[in-house]
Amino acid sequence: MDVFGLANADRVLPGVKAGDPAAQEAVYRAFEAPVYNLARRICRTPEDAEDVLQETFLEVFRSIGSFRGDGSLWGWVRTIAASKAFMRLRRNKYRETEELQDDVVPIRREDAALRMDLEAALERLHPTSRAVVWLHDVEGYTHEEIAALMDKTVSFSKSQLARAHVRLRRWLGEEVPA
Amino acid sequence: MTHLTIEQLLAVREPGLEPGVQGWRDHAAACEICRAELERLDQRVARLRAMPVLKPARNRFGEVRALTRRWRLRRRLTVFSLGGLALAATVALAVVLVPTLGGPAPAQLTERQELDDIIARSRQLEDVIQTLDSDRQVTNGRAALVAATLEDRVAQIDQQLQLMNLMNVQTRSPDALRLWRERVGLLDALVDVHATGASFVRY
Repeated sequence: MDVFGLANADRVLPGVKAGDPAAQEAVYRAFEAPVYNLARRICRTPEDAEDVLQETFLEVFRSIGSFRGDGSLWGWVRTIAASKAFMRLRRNKYRETEELQDDVVPIRREDAALRMDLEAALERLHPTSRAVVWLHDVEGYTHEEIAALMDKTVSFSKSQLARAHVRLRRWLGEEVPA
Repeated sequence: MTHLTIEQLLAVREPGLEPGVQGWRDHAAACEICRAELERLDQRVARLRAMPVLKPARNRFGEVRALTRRWRLRRRLTVFSLGGLALAATVALAVVLVPTLGGPAPAQLTERQELDDIIARSRQLEDVIQTLDSDRQVTNGRAALVAATLEDRVAQIDQQLQLMNLMNVQTRSPDALRLWRERVGLLDALVDVHATGASFVRY
């Protein structure tokens, strides 16, 4: 389902392709929030997400001529947004050492009692894991699609998702004692 | 009894049937602990999907529109310039191939053509700069300084060209050609500064 699709996409597309500002604004307003939301869930800071938002729409308006309408406009815009967000992640060169080492650090008493909310737990994940969780579980991307976007293997995507869920389960206090 | 790992539980949720998954599904259906774990996983995903949509703190459409407009202008200019180059190449070819009787020597004709092209290009760039300048919203300090330096140099060249004109120096002399070339280089750099806010340019 094209949740964020423009009801009148067919009508505004020729205008966007011709560079009509009103048509561009219609597309921008329709997809601004979902693009930012996707970028914000993948990127580390709101500033990065805002840059991704801008870069995405610049790319959309520059490349709209290559959109053939085979799939939904939102699907096309979303792929550009995800790709820009990953480029931003790579550019910032987040190092694996920055990852929270929860596997090796025993859960402290206060951590166990903390029971983070989902927003905080998601934020705490490593950007790569968070991106995989968001794209797979929320946006509905397959592991094959995520692997292609991230230039990684399908196994990498699967293992990132599994690790992320192990951590989320722990941080949300959902672990069942063995 | 061995329970399903998180990887296996995630595989059970995937569409399609990879090797071994049916066995895990059967296990999850029969094992109370794994079934409960699978349900918690489903609920977690449902909660992720129900998270609020985050919205940007400020509206960036103005910047996107301005940058897109500038990009289109530059692209149009590039296409136009390539067309001009092709035309110049055609003229140059015609000069070589068509025998001239009593007309200017091919070298003179090429030089004259080059000067005319440079002057035309200079006018195009001035138009672009005027357009970019009129819709410019924000200029950083360094970019403004670079633009001012380039504009000063253009003004100096204009004075030299004017002086040559007053002194009745041939406006098609090699010196004039050199000055016009430099002027176009400076204007090109100015377009870059206005379009991208560049604080370092080479011309």
